[in-house]
Amino acid sequence: MKTFVGLFFTSTGFGLAILIAYWFIGHEETTGTVLLAIMTSALAFAATYAVIAERNARLDGDGEKLTPEDTKGEDLGIFTTQSAYPILVALSVLFMLLGILYSPLLAFVAIVALLLCLWRLGAESARI
Amino acid sequence: MIEWFTATDHKKIGIMYIVATMTFFVAAGILAMMIRAQLARPDNALLSAQLYNQIFTLHGTAMIFFVIAPFGLGLANFIVPLQIGAPDMAFPRLNATSLWLFILGGIIMFLGFATYGGASANGWTNYAPLSEISEGTGAGNDFWTIGVLMAGVSTILTAVNLTTTVFLLRAPGMTMWRVPIFTWEIVATSLLILMAFPSLTAVLFMVLIDRHLGGHFFDPVYGGNPILYQHLFWFFGHPEVYVMILPYFGIVTEVIATFSHKPVFGYVGLVLAAFAIAGLSIGVWAHHMFTTGAVSNPFFSAVSFLIAVPTGVKFVNWIGTMWKGSLEFTTAMLFSLGFLFNFLLGGITGVMVASPPIDYQTHDSYFIVHHFHYTLGGGSMFALFSALFFWFPKIFGVRLNETLGKWFFWLMFIGFNLTFLPMAFMGIEGMARRVYTYPNVEHLALLNGLATAGGAIMGIAFLLFIANVFISAFANVPVPSNPWGGYSLEWATSSPPPEHNFETLPPITSRRPALDLMNT
Repeated sequence: MKTFVGLFFTSTGFGLAILIAYWFIGHEETTGTVLLAIMTSALAFAATYAVIAERNARLDGDGEKLTPEDTKGEDLGIFTTQSAYPILVALSVLFMLLGILYSPLLAFVAIVALLLCLWRLGAESARI
Repeated sequence: MIEWFTATDHKKIGIMYIVATMTFFVAAGILAMMIRAQLARPDNALLSAQLYNQIFTLHGTAMIFFVIAPFGLGLANFIVPLQIGAPDMAFPRLNATSLWLFILGGIIMFLGFATYGGASANGWTNYAPLSEISEGTGAGNDFWTIGVLMAGVSTILTAVNLTTTVFLLRAPGMTMWRVPIFTWEIVATSLLILMAFPSLTAVLFMVLIDRHLGGHFFDPVYGGNPILYQHLFWFFGHPEVYVMILPYFGIVTEVIATFSHKPVFGYVGLVLAAFAIAGLSIGVWAHHMFTTGAVSNPFFSAVSFLIAVPTGVKFVNWIGTMWKGSLEFTTAMLFSLGFLFNFLLGGITGVMVASPPIDYQTHDSYFIVHHFHYTLGGGSMFALFSALFFWFPKIFGVRLNETLGKWFFWLMFIGFNLTFLPMAFMGIEGMARRVYTYPNVEHLALLNGLATAGGAIMGIAFLLFIANVFISAFANVPVPSNPWGGYSLEWATSSPPPEHNFETLPPITSRRPALDLMNT
């Protein structure tokens, strides 16, 4: 089992332990129990996904004896250094939130802009 | 300029995080000076009560959401890919989106001052039902909520990115048990963020729904429950304290090991302690709510006490790393040692207030202000400056002036303790936090006068730091790739690093690849 899978499982186990302890000691107070239960479920979901992802993962970082020479020529993809869309996405989110509170028209325009930016962002990623 | 606005390279984003957090730090520092000026003497009328409330609210919020927490993650943006031998973060565009959500969130929060009625005046906790009263907390409070909401979402996205990067993009040979402690602390912090921050997003949306869309989540008149707000807020809020300290534990570990010229003592213990702290911090949220009478005090008190154990393990490891080492007292090392001293005091008072009888006595008093400033100011902030002096050559290619740096450290250390130590005594004498003035009773005038003098010394010290940055940048003396004899992988590339970080990656066969490279 890879270390990161173990981390998610340990975290889930810890969440479960603290949930059970909390339920026994403070069960008259339900909010905390519900919060811990939601958190533990989310961790369990992440741990399960990690197990599935692990099956197909080949991580050079886990090869104790591997050197950069051994993986020479491996395609890591292209890491872009420029994109205008992240700042536009953030601006759209800001105006969307302001619009929801103060101006439905602004909210509508911001949501359209946000969807457009996300679409272009996806297209840009796919192109690379 | 456009190159920076559209940058997705992790190093540029890391630099922008650092510049943005330091800008917010200056703004929050000016607000802190105004607080200390108002409290310099009893019955002072320099600021009105309402303006004072706005100032301490934005000071606290800025320091927590826009300085201490994002600086750690911003620094991680620059350092973590270098430490693990990755060419960039796993999701560069998501990384840039996180940065701009954070910056715009900070700007909109401060713009609250420009609204009719002024900025939010509810404290950094923004407790309901106070935060739901529209009169007097109008657009400023909305701007605060939107700003913090955006910062919270930005933090979650950064945590996803950092976790994925460390798990999947390590260089060949960089196994998880070889990554530096700073990177481990960032992994623990990121998992903690993923567990706790969604609660903040939820509770802030609930406040907005109550304020604008006719909801009644927290309004007892309509069957809502204000205690629910506190639960949801502190379920995020106490882990947030550790989000603000774990990265700084990592910084201190790297600095102490480098300037003790020894390997880290108890590497595995430090990693396990980080995860123990992160895990336990999930189970202590309601120790902030002892006095509500609506929570299980024995449970939260016991778990709060337990956190002292892994924290103590870390102290043993730091001292063990220095033990019989060849210590070099650079400015970075001095700030890390200052961190150990201040954080120890803050930790001890933390154990004290984990006890409900003591908490009942000191709740909402200046004793608590003393406690959290020693952990986050004397702790995280000192480690922040340690990191700046340590990694400045790697990030900018020039070294900060050491003589000015040591003056800066001593002025900060004296100023900090002069400001915040008297606050413990103010609290014991009964001075409540968040009051805009106080009567001339007991020793409050003397203690507040000392605190204000300490604040002024810290202000002067910070001006010295800014001067140091400009003088060092102007001198522009190039530095070698490894000016301190550092051991982790970032010291094996040029200063500053090339676009995709490494021209050639060295073989990684131990936890100290940069030293291995130097020795071959």
